Amino acid sequence: MTRRASPKLAGYAGLAGFGLLAALAVGRPEIVALTAPFLLALGVGLALSGTPSFTLQLTADERAVEGDEVPARIRVETPSGVDRLDVYLRLPDGLAPAHGDQATGLHLGRGETRDLELTLSATRWGAHRLGPLHVRARDALGLIVAEGVLAETPVVRVYPREDTLRRILRPRDTQLYSGSEVARTKGEGIEFADMRPWTAGDPLRRVNWRASARRAELWVDESHPERNNDVILFVDSFADVRGAAGGTLDLAVRATTALADAYIRRRDRVGLISFGGILRWLEPGMGLVQLYRVVDALLDTHVILSYYWTGIDVIPRRTLPPKALVIALTPLLDDRSVDALLDLRARGHDLCVVDVSPVPFTRRTVDGLDAVAYDIWILRRDALRHRLQRAGVAAVEWRDDVPLQAVLEEVTAFRRHARLARV
Amino acid sequence: MTAVAALLAVAGYAASAGGTVAAAGGGIAAAGAVVGAVAVLLRLPSLVPWALAAAASGYVLARTHHARVDGWSPVVGAAILLAAELATWSIDDDRRIREERTLVIRQVVVVAALVLAAAAVGFVLVGAAAISASAGLVATAVGVAAAVSAVALVLRLLR
Repeated sequence: MTRRASPKLAGYAGLAGFGLLAALAVGRPEIVALTAPFLLALGVGLALSGTPSFTLQLTADERAVEGDEVPARIRVETPSGVDRLDVYLRLPDGLAPAHGDQATGLHLGRGETRDLELTLSATRWGAHRLGPLHVRARDALGLIVAEGVLAETPVVRVYPREDTLRRILRPRDTQLYSGSEVARTKGEGIEFADMRPWTAGDPLRRVNWRASARRAELWVDESHPERNNDVILFVDSFADVRGAAGGTLDLAVRATTALADAYIRRRDRVGLISFGGILRWLEPGMGLVQLYRVVDALLDTHVILSYYWTGIDVIPRRTLPPKALVIALTPLLDDRSVDALLDLRARGHDLCVVDVSPVPFTRRTVDGLDAVAYDIWILRRDALRHRLQRAGVAAVEWRDDVPLQAVLEEVTAFRRHARLARV
Repeated sequence: MTAVAALLAVAGYAASAGGTVAAAGGGIAAAGAVVGAVAVLLRLPSLVPWALAAAASGYVLARTHHARVDGWSPVVGAAILLAAELATWSIDDDRRIREERTLVIRQVVVVAALVLAAAAVGFVLVGAAAISASAGLVATAVGVAAAVSAVALVLRLLR
């Protein structure tokens, strides 16, 4: 706490001092009568003022989902009492006050404990540190002011609201472990694939007796095995175009969460690459713990300005396993991301690009050079998507008013009809 | 507004003393009220002492040609203190801060008690001054010491 004299104290002392000098100089008792009230106020105020002693504690729920309400509590305890205590809780961008007051002035008696309840609304995903919590204590006459800031404040982790996905993208190749994806290869499984003549070593339960009876020789059924996938979610955090209701990074993070949840439910291994000013990665893993890891890593995703040229060479090899499906969510605004995606494709990775379009968050001027520049920018974005598509990448534009499911269906349709390009 | 009204009351009382000098004193005190209003409206706490000083100077100027000690001067002093307290309260008040009702009541009680006590002390001082008009060398020395101490306190606070 920092104690200081208020402007009122200096003003009163100045008036009293110069009033007394004037009284001596002029020799009029009225000046003393005018000065005496300020001397009295100074004397009483300084006599009553002491070092304020109190403790503050700020608590809040640590986890919430976007749109949830987060209860928070400020507890003030004082053994000696405080004549006036102003408490102001500053909130980070992702949290807004729903009920209660961010700034409160209160009087605390000796040994009193007070709880200030506050309900916050989680408006945006992220790891938000509450505070700082500013406090200002004043004595009865407001002559001495003590100010301080509570250093230890809790972090509220707001998880992104996610869409429910009914169908997700199927990878070109599956992995070796069991999962929910019916592999294109043949092997031990449930899904019927084909029939072939019996060979030595085929188990008896594989024999298709009806077909064998028709052909007068033994035929066996073949099936597709159920395998899992490796899915790498690639989030481009080089740039974020924001509007009043959100931004491209918000959409990308929400979509990534939804995709991670959907793939992990299918027992697939999910990894994460946050490609931006700071490169973050998470090696593929499966299970609920991995989902939490992915979401926690996403919460720390921010746009950090950097001119350092980052390529996919800096990504650890284990983060990009062979035959993994890479789903990139990018606004296609930074050349480093575009080059990295083309590089990934050139290395043979199964790549899909969801272009989180910044266009809805921008505004075209009516006419003039700015309008022409805007139109050229739109055309260049189309050309860039076309370039990716020519490289065999399913690149689809996603606008914020379209459900993610519709975008995934569009990607699936592209992958169904597109031929694999060798670049 | 009550703070400005208190300063205007001081100006009116000063002007009512009669004569050209009293009218000038009333004018200076009224200017102090205007400065006080500006300080409150623009939230400039540094202007408040100047407003008070102007009001007090105007009153003293108005009393210059009166030989008798004004018996109501403690009330004038209390009114200036009331103006100071209310102006400071108004400037410090922030509508974004929700104040508890007990806090407001407590503040009102404190200001009222302070003003009444100031008036009472002022009456005692004026009474004492009236009894001993010529105090002598020792009382003058004590007064000078008190004034110098007050100025030293101000300089220390300003540093």
